[in-house]
Amino acid sequence: MRYPRTRADIDTEASTEPSHSTRHIAGISIEPVAATNLGPVPKLAAQAIPVHRPPGAVDESQFLLGCTRCGECIAACPHDAIRKAANRLGPVAGTPVIEADLAACLMCEDYPCIAACEPGVLTDSLPVTMGTARVTEHLCLAHHGTTCTICSERCPVEHAICVNDGKPAVNEDACTGCGVCRYVCPAPENAILLMPAFKRPRYTA
Amino acid sequence: MKTLNTDRRQLMKTAAMAAAGSLVTGGVSLPVVNADQAVGELPAGEGLSWNKAPCRFCGTGCHVQVGVENGRVVAIAGDKAADVNKGLLCVKGYHVGGILYGNDRLTKPLLRKDGKLVEIEWDEALDVIAQRIMKSPETFAFYGSGQWTIPEGYAAQKFMKGGLSNNHIDPNARLCMASAVTGFIATYGVDEPAGCYQDLDECDVLITWGNNPAEMHPVLFSRVTDRRSRGEKVTIIDIGTRRTRTTDAADDYLEMKPHGDVAIALGIMHLLIENDNYDKSFVEKHCNFRALEAATPTLKGEAITEDEYRKRIAKYTPELVEELSGVPAEKIRMLAGLFANRDRRITSLWCMGMNQHTMGTAVNSLVHGVHLMSGHFGRPGDAPTSLTGQPSACGTVREVGTLAHALPGGRLVAKEDHRQQCEEFWNLRAGSIQGVPGYHTVKMFEQFTKPTSEGGDITTMFVQVTNPGQTLPNLNKLFNSKQGLEDKFLIVSDVYPTASTELADLILPAAMWVEKNGVYGNSERRTQQWFKMVDPPGDARDDTWMTIAIARKLFDLGHEGMKDNDGEFIFSVKDETGKEIPIWEFEHYYDTNVDKHLFEEYRQFTTMKHKNLAPYDEYVKARGLRWPVVEQDDGSWRETRFRFSAFDDPFVSEGQEFEFYHSTSQDGRAQIWFHDYTPPPEQPDQEYPFWLCTGRVLEHWHTGTMTRRLSPLNRAMPTAYIEMNPQDAKAANIRQGETVVIETRRGKTELPVWIDGRGRPPAGSVFVPFFDETKLINDCTLDEHDPFSKQPDYKKCAARIVKKTAAG
Repeated sequence: MRYPRTRADIDTEASTEPSHSTRHIAGISIEPVAATNLGPVPKLAAQAIPVHRPPGAVDESQFLLGCTRCGECIAACPHDAIRKAANRLGPVAGTPVIEADLAACLMCEDYPCIAACEPGVLTDSLPVTMGTARVTEHLCLAHHGTTCTICSERCPVEHAICVNDGKPAVNEDACTGCGVCRYVCPAPENAILLMPAFKRPRYTA
Repeated sequence: MKTLNTDRRQLMKTAAMAAAGSLVTGGVSLPVVNADQAVGELPAGEGLSWNKAPCRFCGTGCHVQVGVENGRVVAIAGDKAADVNKGLLCVKGYHVGGILYGNDRLTKPLLRKDGKLVEIEWDEALDVIAQRIMKSPETFAFYGSGQWTIPEGYAAQKFMKGGLSNNHIDPNARLCMASAVTGFIATYGVDEPAGCYQDLDECDVLITWGNNPAEMHPVLFSRVTDRRSRGEKVTIIDIGTRRTRTTDAADDYLEMKPHGDVAIALGIMHLLIENDNYDKSFVEKHCNFRALEAATPTLKGEAITEDEYRKRIAKYTPELVEELSGVPAEKIRMLAGLFANRDRRITSLWCMGMNQHTMGTAVNSLVHGVHLMSGHFGRPGDAPTSLTGQPSACGTVREVGTLAHALPGGRLVAKEDHRQQCEEFWNLRAGSIQGVPGYHTVKMFEQFTKPTSEGGDITTMFVQVTNPGQTLPNLNKLFNSKQGLEDKFLIVSDVYPTASTELADLILPAAMWVEKNGVYGNSERRTQQWFKMVDPPGDARDDTWMTIAIARKLFDLGHEGMKDNDGEFIFSVKDETGKEIPIWEFEHYYDTNVDKHLFEEYRQFTTMKHKNLAPYDEYVKARGLRWPVVEQDDGSWRETRFRFSAFDDPFVSEGQEFEFYHSTSQDGRAQIWFHDYTPPPEQPDQEYPFWLCTGRVLEHWHTGTMTRRLSPLNRAMPTAYIEMNPQDAKAANIRQGETVVIETRRGKTELPVWIDGRGRPPAGSVFVPFFDETKLINDCTLDEHDPFSKQPDYKKCAARIVKKTAAG
């Protein structure tokens, strides 16, 4: 994370330890990982609403089948960025999602959420890409000609937002969709359009 | 429950398509109005009304349109009709409406009783203040602000200097603008820039001297960068002690050592003389040479010949300047070459970098000198221009003269004829106004925080519209030491709890911005008026009313100073029938427009130094007018963009091309000053090896009391930080984001480290913004100040950075 955090932030982090601390050492799960269900994809899941998943999430249909809604990733997130999807989201309800307007993924170096995922629907063997951000130019203050550089300054991924002539643009190849830019954008109407990854790779052992 | 009405829905719909305005909903801002919409095109409808106001924040003076519905500010839009910003706003400006609606607005007067703050009624609060003043009027001090409206400052000024015969009134602008004032006065004999923002539209070269307008005056900087995007060529040269967002846009960056600006200006003038390519005709016709008197230096200085000037400046060769400033000799030659070329128009911009400087008066005068000597003066685009950081530092402090030594209209307490005239205007007894200047800010707080038994002769301090508990330098000495001094009494009028209210004995809840009438004066001599649009919350009330109500209490207690020669109250306002309106009772304060009465009274002072203002009603119609505003034969009022230039300034005598009609040498000429470079009072050493520089950030204004209550801005910039050079961080094994302790000889504070962030200081120096009340960098800063302006130097002192573990 490139932006300095306050002492208070760091202290709070230390106190938000996972609720089942016996199963973790320094945020890394030490319990055996249950086998991921790689069976056929039910139709219902395939039509699920695209949502913003935590880093390293497997293909959505695999995810819905495999995720036990145990809440371990939510507890493991040091920044309270992962939360349970709302009930109105139907089949997705109760699964872990990121809502960048409330709290963005800060792209931890060690991904405690992945380490905490017992069923393995968050996995470090897949890219951490959660989605992608895009600058809505007509809403962006910098594109309106006034100084604003906060999204590129706070972006935790090197080269994901480049600034040209004072104006930011997202490099979609580098962007992980963490949502930090969306969270910090001070434009009167948020100038960052954040889209979840519509298709994530399937996990094959 | 009533849902959104159709107007509001229409607003929301417009919102979805545009970016340049914001809808205020419970402290959160949403967009509504496009910048391209002229005023007449703003979404209208029953219940929603729009009115103009200058933005509450900086000295740029952008205009906004304020949308009000059901007694609440619901929307903000950039005002396209405003010449300053043409509809554009900065990131703060779009959210300005939300400053009224923070959760912790002060709504009741609070008196400290047995260490606890208890709610009291206004009448009791006024009694407490009046009694303390009655008991000891000469140990009362009034500390004001460049955020005071013109009527607020004028009322305070009259109350103190006229009513109480007490000159202990000084503003926070002492901490930000005082050296610009002394620079203008020493050079031209009269304060404030000759040019205006049009210079930014017409210059070929923009030089920023220790200035970061990209962040601090973004709308002005946009005027320059916008020209580039339209294909015009504007060269930006950034002279600074660290890389900033302005550097990003600059064609050339000259990194100087702190205090190097003095040497650079001297070096340019040396080369202009040495190469014999200065503007001889301009200098012969319009300038004199000046240096400080050896015995008792004053702003007037003594005349020296051109030969003497040549002799003194001869040693400032590019090589010596390189040694003193760190800027390579060939870059000094480049700058001198630029100034030698009269075909390209050059505008210099500066703000706190040159003002918060122990040689502030000197460096201001020298940069004016560079422009005068090279003839880069008085044509659109050729201008030495200082910017202000507060919305009415110019209007209220510099023009109304709310400084310990000044009287309204650029007059001085030290001059008997000025005092007499002021007494006449105020209809006060001869001798009411004292001839000895009061305490300047640093001295005022020294005297307030020093025990009475040790000679601390200020016992009651009234603070309005500012936050000295966060902004004074060396806070432990000048503010925090008030704690525990039983006989010292601090009164703070503010809108939110602040670092200053922490130590206050009496807190007064104030109305802010469009909750009251107001008049501001921006950086380019533009006087801007607005009307009250919504009611303040709870018992919050206008600052002008507070001053008048206190004066009335004193009047009732029999204080002679509160009566004029006819025995009437000094703030008496009468209706058309001649009956006095009891404006000291808040229920009646808005029976009339008190602002207008005070403004019209103040206006008679403004002609003395050719700072002529138009009648109040002219400002109601305009998006501000730049003084001098002079009535034309047809009865219209004409503003002045370029002072001292015959083509625009009506006060230049017939037949002259330029005339400095307030010249300190009384010959219509400006002064080109010589000042020797002297090193900064505190420099890094083995014990404290870093330069510490302080300043602002784009997202927050001043002490953050307003902007930190706007969640979009606070999300974008939630905490102060310390900018470090990567080399220094590596050497000290300090990681990005790690919290470190910064210590100086005066205090310490803890801050997270930001490496290669927005600002990039060179090795051996660090930068910390001052907006964050939880990390007070002014515990560390130095209270050394300029000998003439008494403005402290917040830009350089010696510090050390300690890892938190090591510090324990």
